[in-house]
Amino acid sequence: MTGGYDEACAADLAAVAEGRDLSREDRAWLARVVVGAVRPNRDKPLWDLAHALAALARLTGARDGRDLVTLALDPGLARADRLEARFAGTGTAVDARGPILPDGGTGWRTTWSGLARLLALAEFVLTAEDLSQFAAVTGWLDDLAAAPDAESAASFSRRLARHLAAYRHAHLPLAPLERRFRAILGFLDGRRAFTDDDILGFWRGQMSEGDRPGFRTVAEHFVTFEAASALLGGLAELASPASLDAVEGWEERLDASLADLAAAEPAETLAALLATLPDGPKILTGAERDDLAEFLRLEPFHRTRPLTTLRAASFGRVQSGLANRLRRGGGGADIAERTACAEAETYPALAERVSGLTAHLDRMLRIAAALRVPAEAEGLSPKARDALAAARADIRRIRRAGFDDPDRLAAGFAAADAALLRLAEEAGRLARAIAGLARQRPLELAFATDRDVFAEAFAEAYAAEATA
Amino acid sequence: MTDEARLLAEIHAARALMRASDLARDTSRRPGTAELWAHASREPSGPVDLAVVRAIRGDPATARRYRALLAGQAIAHAPLAAAASDGAVASRRVGPFILEILPADDDAPPLLVLRSSAARPPRAIEAMLGDETVRLALPPAIDGAILVALDPGVPEAARLGEMLRDRACAVFLL
Repeated sequence: MTGGYDEACAADLAAVAEGRDLSREDRAWLARVVVGAVRPNRDKPLWDLAHALAALARLTGARDGRDLVTLALDPGLARADRLEARFAGTGTAVDARGPILPDGGTGWRTTWSGLARLLALAEFVLTAEDLSQFAAVTGWLDDLAAAPDAESAASFSRRLARHLAAYRHAHLPLAPLERRFRAILGFLDGRRAFTDDDILGFWRGQMSEGDRPGFRTVAEHFVTFEAASALLGGLAELASPASLDAVEGWEERLDASLADLAAAEPAETLAALLATLPDGPKILTGAERDDLAEFLRLEPFHRTRPLTTLRAASFGRVQSGLANRLRRGGGGADIAERTACAEAETYPALAERVSGLTAHLDRMLRIAAALRVPAEAEGLSPKARDALAAARADIRRIRRAGFDDPDRLAAGFAAADAALLRLAEEAGRLARAIAGLARQRPLELAFATDRDVFAEAFAEAYAAEATA
Repeated sequence: MTDEARLLAEIHAARALMRASDLARDTSRRPGTAELWAHASREPSGPVDLAVVRAIRGDPATARRYRALLAGQAIAHAPLAAAASDGAVASRRVGPFILEILPADDDAPPLLVLRSSAARPPRAIEAMLGDETVRLALPPAIDGAILVALDPGVPEAARLGEMLRDRACAVFLL
């Protein structure tokens, strides 16, 4: 997925996540808070953080900001159970469920797991931008430690809100994304459901308006739109008058939906799976990894919208070639030739590649099973025994690096087989989705029609450069 | 709802960041912020983590982060010596503090004198020069001045005196 953040922001988040060994859910929460994808008030977590640190300052008798920094950076306090073990029953700013801070009528409170998240946010705020704001934030913590009450917490939270707003301004260029989503909302005109041809139609409109976004980029926006559309429907209902009181617990439900959107991609994203496949036996070549990454990048569209997946793989690549050619100012086929899509990979050819990948992954999975199960294992059916023996014999036929070294091979597959299983499953689902598509309409025909559409859009959009 | 496009953009960026942070794992084995902070906030005579010390010496990025942590907790600091030195008496200003080194005479070692009207006196001084760092505990102030004998028999104290005379030496009062 592209856009919306810079490398520094990704590195800042990764450093906190790694140092504290954050769960996927907590990482997603932190990413949401940093980006601002929190409703109804995106500064609420900062309000909570300021109150949590005030409560901790009371509990620990913090003398100054340094003491609070030590608490915030301590990886030994990164988990709810450790926080509970350390602080439960240690003072009046805490009860059995978590820290509390008197604040007017009802007071402020959070849970131990809420506190663990907030400390991760504290570490992010302290360490972001390679610690360039560390001294400033520590100074604010000095003020909070000097008077750890609701008033100081409120003033600290205002400083944090300004601080994070400045961070977003510097590292999260959201305006172009927002413009595109506004355009999508306008294009769909109130509809939440859309088709493959809506995606294509929207992209063509953007191309003719001179913006020239990549087809893949546009498709990625629709992935997000589809994932979020149920939530948006709920939000619209909530925004109608009188509903706020009527819908009890709406704030919690809204937050849970947003949390799901950030974290609910499968436990490990396919892109990460591909990147973390160990070096060792060449289970997948570089080209095979690239192909899988290309086919699965629009998850979940490879299961649900095979046509968009094929369009992105075929014509998305043509468009990247065009964009690269323009950036470099030369090299390879010229612009006019490229816009004609003569080199676009046909859908039958792509389908062929998908089924080749699926067959290869299945073969690797059988080898993984053979390496896991000892040859003399008992209780196997004769059929399973034969299959494993065949897979073991198959190893010798594979002419790839590392397959001739039994120890390396076993270690390599042991490290990779969970990832292999998921990749094989997803590649298989794409293959079935494409087969389903082909039953409705021959792939040759679909490709020929699409090539005319894309070629026309490219020719029009890149006309100036083509004749230059 | 007018906020819809903004929220979609934020969700899109948050999901993209999740993917990116899956891939952006740092494999450099640099000390984490928590380890650096433990080193920066240690007691002057306390135990040190040698791996952290090595990283600060050998890796400019780690050294920079360490200095940022020191500066964040210092009562006063001077990244580089700005004041002139006349050879016999080194004198420099560090925030509200004036540091002076009085030369040795016949039977007394050189003396480091810190003066200030700052409310909170520092408890330690750390000097950094090149890849070398020296930290020394400071005694309580007497009449607004902190006095430290730079005894040639105490290697760290003697070295601190030599480092402070170099105008490139960074000073942190902690």
